Amino acid sequence: MKKAALWLALGAVAFLAALWAAPQAEGLWSALFPEVSRPAYVQESWFVLLGSHLALSLGAALLAAMLGIPAGIAATRSSGRALRPVVDAAFTLAQSVPPVAVIALALPLLGFGAAPTLLALVLYGALPLLRATVTGIESVPAQITEAARGLGLSPWQRLTRVELPLARPVLLAGLRVAVTLSVATTAVGAVAGARCLGTPIIIGLTNANPSYVLQGALFTAWLALLLDRALSLLAGPQSSP
Amino acid sequence: MIRFEDVSQRYGEVQAVRGVTFGVPSGVLCVLLGESGSGKSTLLRMVNRLIEPSGGRVLLQGQDVAGIDPQILRRGIGYVIQSVGLFPHRSVAENVATVPRLLGWDAARIAARVDKLLAMVGLEPGEYRARRPATLSGGQAQRVGLARALAADPPVLLMDEPFSALDPATRRGLQAELRRIHANMGKTILLVTHDVEEALALADRIAVMEAGRLVAEGPPLAVLGWETPASVRRMLGAETLAFHRLSALRAEDFALPGFAPGAPLLAAGGTMRDALLLMLTHGTDRAALAGEAARHLPLSAILAAP
Ligand SMILES: Nc1ncnc2c1ncn2[C@@H]1O[C@H](COP(=O)(O)OP(=O)(O)O)[C@@H](O)[C@H]1O
Ligand SMILES: [Mg+2]
Repeated sequence: MKKAALWLALGAVAFLAALWAAPQAEGLWSALFPEVSRPAYVQESWFVLLGSHLALSLGAALLAAMLGIPAGIAATRSSGRALRPVVDAAFTLAQSVPPVAVIALALPLLGFGAAPTLLALVLYGALPLLRATVTGIESVPAQITEAARGLGLSPWQRLTRVELPLARPVLLAGLRVAVTLSVATTAVGAVAGARCLGTPIIIGLTNANPSYVLQGALFTAWLALLLDRALSLLAGPQSSP
Repeated sequence: MIRFEDVSQRYGEVQAVRGVTFGVPSGVLCVLLGESGSGKSTLLRMVNRLIEPSGGRVLLQGQDVAGIDPQILRRGIGYVIQSVGLFPHRSVAENVATVPRLLGWDAARIAARVDKLLAMVGLEPGEYRARRPATLSGGQAQRVGLARALAADPPVLLMDEPFSALDPATRRGLQAELRRIHANMGKTILLVTHDVEEALALADRIAVMEAGRLVAEGPPLAVLGWETPASVRRMLGAETLAFHRLSALRAEDFALPGFAPGAPLLAAGGTMRDALLLMLTHGTDRAALAGEAARHLPLSAILAAP
């Protein structure tokens, strides 16, 4: 546990160092892409791109959690059972439309920038969280909820003291999927003009600069991996009482 | 203490409970006996409002439970189920402390109560307090379940097949524990079982259920006596009923004065059934009784037992 956290911290430091070094590593990029005249991406600071990428993807994940988790809780209440198919259908629809399509469809409505991307990311991330919440709560053995009821826990106490703590591993696994998906998918937002680690990819593609594409792809993937690690550390072994 | 008044429950086509009326006096351990599906659990769960009867009413100390807030009602009634249902993410002590916590007791009072209860159900507090439910055997888990039900000292205890999932030796140990606790604490207990032997081992009174109806109710000997309707006798296993009846008779009530040289010694508090088994084991026709005065029990006394 301790060791894994240390490795994670080292990985994060290496990532930040690479972001800092990338604009200065002219030599490295020109060695890789000799035909490109200006191979180092220097238009914007990588840290600015990282910041807005994180704000966008984590913000979207947060919003997705604020939608998906309460919807999952509502769908598992005895009063919400009837609601369940409707909620499921709505979220399945959201999931079956690819994010690029959502962005494209939202463009005329929301205009260029971060908004269409945010919309796509939220719709995309809410479903895994809804599913995880429902699965997690429904995996709590019936005799445990029966005992909780029989001992006089109120519905709210049953949810917060029994169901959610026992659903925690499944919930955190869902959260991890949602965040990782969100971080990886945010890069697509560059198409609609959202500033993020995908921006150099789009610029590189439109200007026939494979060096930009590589740098953007590298850092996007690296960030997604780092966050996945971090969240698996959180969700991993039952650390809390 | 508990009173069922013309209570019914139907689930669609299934009439699970049909017009049941009877009472459990204060301090009495009443066993609800019947085959699987006869409506025992449904009846039991009406007392703490886990099920609302579709007809009739349930009174607790003269008060209709339908008028009591379910959470408050349940915190004042111990509830033990076959599958125990300990909270796996909480320690043994935290499990036992569930209801006192809900009632807002202070930490010191809770800690003292938890230790006292663990000791009462035969678990060394120092050893078990911090354990997780996953590390307990079935018997230990049900001891914790019993301690959790008794934590806030409720006057009434509901037990739904509490020992049915345990192996016979563990079950007998827990039955003895429950008898001892009942004798010491004077709780009113309603216990569901399908096991005639268990009913006889525990009951002050027995209520027999069949297909949703109450078919017999009273002290064990009256319920399992010769005058019991044939259908009830059949259900309870007519061929072994005579033998089971002996469990409800105390040997000393039938003992004769005088020594019985060479006869095996029956432990204090033994039943007629224990005496018969002892005689069968030793191949004798009499057993000596433990105690100050010399007493013995001849086989003829068992055969003549009412
Ligand atoms: N929630 C329910 N929905 C439908 N039928 C039920 C439900 N609970 C119990 N029953 C039916 O009611 C009858 C009595 O059940 P129960 O009280 O559990 O019996 P017992 O505890 O004596 O085995 C059975 O036929 C059972 O199938
Ligand atoms: Mg039952």
